[in-house]
Amino acid sequence: MTGLLEPKAIGTDLRRRDGALKVTGAARYAYEAPVDNAAYAHPVQATIGRGRVTSVDTAAAEALDGVIAVLTHENAERLASTEDAELAVLQSGDVAFRGQVIALVVAETSETARHAADLVTVHYDEQEHDCVLDPDGELYKPDKVNPAFETDTAVGDVAGAMASADVTVEQTYTTAMYHNNPLEPHATTALWQPAGDGGDLTLWDSTQGVHPARSTVAEVFGLAEDQVRVVCPYVGGGFGSKGTPHAHVILAAAAARAVPGRPVKLALTRPQMFALAGYRTPTIQRMQLAANRDGVLSAIAIDVVEQTSRIKEFAEQTGVPTRTMYRAPNRRTTHRLAALDVPVPSWMRAPGECPGMFGPEVAMDELAEALGIDPVELRIRNEPEVDPDTGHPFSSRNLVACLREGAARFGWDERDPRPGVRLRDGWLIGTGVASSVYPVHQMPQSTATIRCEDGRYVVEIGAADLGTGTWTTLAQIAADALAVPVADVQVCIGDTAYPMASVAGGSSGMITWGSAVVEAAHAFREKFGDDPADGDEAEGSVSENPMAERYAMYAFGAQFAEAHVNADTGEIRVPRLLGVFAAGRIVNPRTARSQFQGGMTMGLSMALHETSVMDPRFGHVVNHDLAEYHVATNADVADLQAHWLDEHDDKVNPMGVKGIGEIGIVGTAAAVANAVHHATGVRVRDLPITLDKLLPHLP
Amino acid sequence: MDFFRPDSLAEALAAKAEHADAVPIAGGTDVMVELNFDHRRPAALLDLGRIVELHEHGRQDGKVRIGAAVPYARIIDELGRELPGLAMAARTVGSPQIRNRGSVGGNLGAASPAGDSHPALLAANAEVEIASIRGTRMVPVKDFYTGVKRNVLAPDELITAVHIAPATGAQQFSKVGTRNAMVIAVCAFGLALHPDQKRVGTGLGSAAPTPRPATKAEEFIATELDWESPKPLADSVLRRFGALVAEAASPIDDVRGSAAYRRHALAVLARRTLGWAWSEHLGGGRRACA
Repeated sequence: MTGLLEPKAIGTDLRRRDGALKVTGAARYAYEAPVDNAAYAHPVQATIGRGRVTSVDTAAAEALDGVIAVLTHENAERLASTEDAELAVLQSGDVAFRGQVIALVVAETSETARHAADLVTVHYDEQEHDCVLDPDGELYKPDKVNPAFETDTAVGDVAGAMASADVTVEQTYTTAMYHNNPLEPHATTALWQPAGDGGDLTLWDSTQGVHPARSTVAEVFGLAEDQVRVVCPYVGGGFGSKGTPHAHVILAAAAARAVPGRPVKLALTRPQMFALAGYRTPTIQRMQLAANRDGVLSAIAIDVVEQTSRIKEFAEQTGVPTRTMYRAPNRRTTHRLAALDVPVPSWMRAPGECPGMFGPEVAMDELAEALGIDPVELRIRNEPEVDPDTGHPFSSRNLVACLREGAARFGWDERDPRPGVRLRDGWLIGTGVASSVYPVHQMPQSTATIRCEDGRYVVEIGAADLGTGTWTTLAQIAADALAVPVADVQVCIGDTAYPMASVAGGSSGMITWGSAVVEAAHAFREKFGDDPADGDEAEGSVSENPMAERYAMYAFGAQFAEAHVNADTGEIRVPRLLGVFAAGRIVNPRTARSQFQGGMTMGLSMALHETSVMDPRFGHVVNHDLAEYHVATNADVADLQAHWLDEHDDKVNPMGVKGIGEIGIVGTAAAVANAVHHATGVRVRDLPITLDKLLPHLP
Repeated sequence: MDFFRPDSLAEALAAKAEHADAVPIAGGTDVMVELNFDHRRPAALLDLGRIVELHEHGRQDGKVRIGAAVPYARIIDELGRELPGLAMAARTVGSPQIRNRGSVGGNLGAASPAGDSHPALLAANAEVEIASIRGTRMVPVKDFYTGVKRNVLAPDELITAVHIAPATGAQQFSKVGTRNAMVIAVCAFGLALHPDQKRVGTGLGSAAPTPRPATKAEEFIATELDWESPKPLADSVLRRFGALVAEAASPIDDVRGSAAYRRHALAVLARRTLGWAWSEHLGGGRRACA
C-alpha cells in the first residue's frame, strides 16, 4: 500500500454537520417519517416463559373503535423465510421466551393500538422455563463465536504451566446481563405500495445499516431487493442493538402489507426493548494466569460460559481478546453456551472485547499484586513481539506507549501499591489501570459515488450515522481524497437509494466507507481530472486489503481510574477516568473525543450501575425502564479525559484509521474494579461493583 | 377518561366532591409515569395546573405555607433559607426537568415510602393542609401516611399546602442512592434541630412501609443534648443515636439494596447528619449540602 492520504480536512475538529438540525429538532427520526394518514402498531407480548399459545381472543380488541386489524399467528401472512427464528414473527403459536410477540394490533392512533393490545386475551399451554445461566447446567460448544472466530484455541500445556509456575492466579469473574438502551427507542415506519412490479416496501427504520436491513427484510418477505427501500438519515443511538433488524422491523413491514397503501408506525416502548431488541449475555469467565517471579507469563487461559436463546444462537466472542493481548507460550480460550428460554442476545458495543477484557485485566491486577510488581510494568513485561494468536506481526501496536503516556498524565508514578491504606475525609482512595484493545475490521463490501454538481462534489453512500459523526467525517475524507476544501463536499448517507454500504458495526464504518470514498475519488480524478463538468460521476468500492493476511491489525489503549469508597457506607465515586488510545489516525478530534469519552462513560456505567435483573420465576427483566436500569448520569462522571497518540499505520487503509467507536468501553470496568480494590483491599469479581458488595469487607 | 381543568380551588373541590375517582395531577412526574406504564387507568384526571393558590408560597401564622403544586426548583431557589432541610431534600429529587415539575404536594399524594421530601417534612414537623367542600383540616405529617402509597385523604379531599415553621436550628438531609442523580433512594434521613423546643426531629425514607420518624432516637437525643451550654457530642452518643434510628426502620430487600444494608446505612446517615447539625449549632458553620 502506498502512503496515506495527505491530511488537510482530516484531523480538523469540524463541528457536526447535522448538529444544528438535531438540537433544533429538525432532524427527522424513523418514527417521524413524513407520511400522511399513518396507522399505528403495538405488539402483544407473551406472558409466559415457554410454551404454546392455545387460543387468542381478539374480539374485544377488534370491537374497539379505531382498531384496523389484529394480526396473530393464525391470520398473519406466511413469511418466505423463517430461517431466522427471531424474525419469524407470528408464524406459530410457540413461545420461546417471555415478552415474545404473539399478536400485533394496528389502529388509527398509537393510544388505541396500545389499549387494544391490552384487550387481546391469550390462553397458553405453559411449560416450565429455564432462564438462569448456570455454569454447572447443560452447556454446549458452538461451532463458531461471533462473527466467525474459532470457538476454542489451545497452544502448549496450560495445566503443566500452572503446576510449575512461581505464582498463579485462578479466579472466576462475571459480567452482568446488559441492555444497549439507546435513547431513541427502536422504531420503524413502513409503507407497502402494492402497485408496480409486485409492490414496493419502504421502511423508515432506525438502523445501523440501511442495506443490511434491506437484505434481511427482502429475504424474510421473499421480495427482490429493489422492491425494498430503507431510509435512515439519523439514529438516536444504537450501540449495536440496531445493527441487525429485530422482530419489530418485520412486524412493522407485515402490518404495512396488511394495510396496503397506508403507512404504519411502530415504536417499541422502553420495557419492550428489554425483550425484543437484543442485549449482551451475562458472562462467567474462569481465568488462569501463570508467571515466574519476574512477572513473565508462562500461561494465560480463559474459559467462558454464557447464554443464548434456545431459538437462535448468538455466541459472544468473550475469550477472543485473550488470544492477542499478552505473550505466553501456553494458552487456551474456550466458549460454552447455555441455550435458555430467554430473549435473543445480540451485539452490544464491543461484543467480545468489552466483557472479555474484564476478567483478564482484573486477573492481571491480581497477579501484579501477588508478585509485588506495578500493574503497568507487568503488562509491559508481557508485551508480545508478534500476535500470539496468528504469529503475524502487528501493523502497529502501541499498547506500551499508551500505558506509559497514561501513567505520566495520570500521575501513576507516585502511586503507593498497598491496597486499603489511603483514608481521606472518610473516603478510601485508590487507583487502577487496565488495557484496551479493539480489532481493525474492514467489511468486504461498500461502494460510493462522487458526482460534480454546481462545482461541488456530492458523495453518495448508504452509510449510517448513529451519532458517531459520519455526516461530517466522510466529508473530511472525501475532501482530502479529492484534494478540495471540505466545504465543497456534500455527503448523502442513510438511504438504500445510494450505493451499497456495510453496517455501522465493529467500528468498521470509517475504515470501510472511507476506503470506498477514497476509491471513488481516485476514480473520479482519473476519469475527469481536476476540472470536471457538472454531472460527471464516478464510483469506487472498498477492496480487500492484502495486508490483512500478513499483519495483525488492532487499536490499543490504556485506561486509568481513581476510585473513592466511603468507609462507612461503601458508596463508590470515580472522580477521575483517563484513557490514552492508539487507534491510527483520528479523522475528527471533536467527534472522536465524543466516541472515546462515550465509550468510557458506558464502561464506567458497566462497572458501577448497569445490570439487567432477570426474574427466574417469570423470565423477564424486572428493571426494564431507565428509572431502574441505571446508566451513569452526569453527576456520576467527573474528570473524564480521552487522549490519543499520533499513530501512523500505512497498512490498515489509505486513511490510516483503525476505528474508534468501541475501544473506549473496553477495559474501563476492569480499571475501575482495580481502583476499587486498591482503595479498599476488597476484590469484587462480579459486576456491577455495588456498595453492598463492598460494605461487609471494608477495612 | 375524563379530564377536568378547574380554574379555581373552589371548582377543583367541587369537581373532586362530584368525581371522587378523579386523580389529581399537578407536575405529572408520578401520575404520568403510572399512566404510561398502565399501572393505573383512572376514570378521570383533575388538572390542578390553573389554580393559582396551589402554585404560591407565603407566610401564615408564622409558618411558611407552600402551595401543594409549588415545584421543587422554587423551593430550592426561594425557600432555602427558611427551610434548609426541605431544600436539601429537593435538590436530590430527579433531574432539573423533574424538579421544575414535581412538587411536595405530589410527593404527599403519592405517599411513596421513597419520596424524597418526606424525611425533611417529618423532621421539621410539617403539617398538611387538606381541603374539601366540607372544609379544611390540618394533619401533622407523621399522621398523614397510612400505608405503602396510602394516606389519610378522603375521596373528596385535595392536598392544598404544607405548613412548616421556619428553621430555628440546623437541618440536614442525607440520601444513599446507587448513582449520583436521578435515583430512587436506597434510604434517606432527615434531621432538624429545634433549639426552641429543645428537641431533635427525624424522618426516615425508603426504610419502612411509610415514611416515619425515629421516635426513640428523638427521645434519646433530647436527653443527651445540652442546649444551654452546648458541647461537642461524644462518639458513643452519635453511635447510640444511629443505632436507634436503624432500629426504627423496618426495611425490605429489593433491587436497590438489602434490608441489612439499609439499616447499616441509616445508622451512618443518622450519626453523620446529627454530627454536622450539632457542629453547626456549636458555631462550626453551616454545611451547604449533605
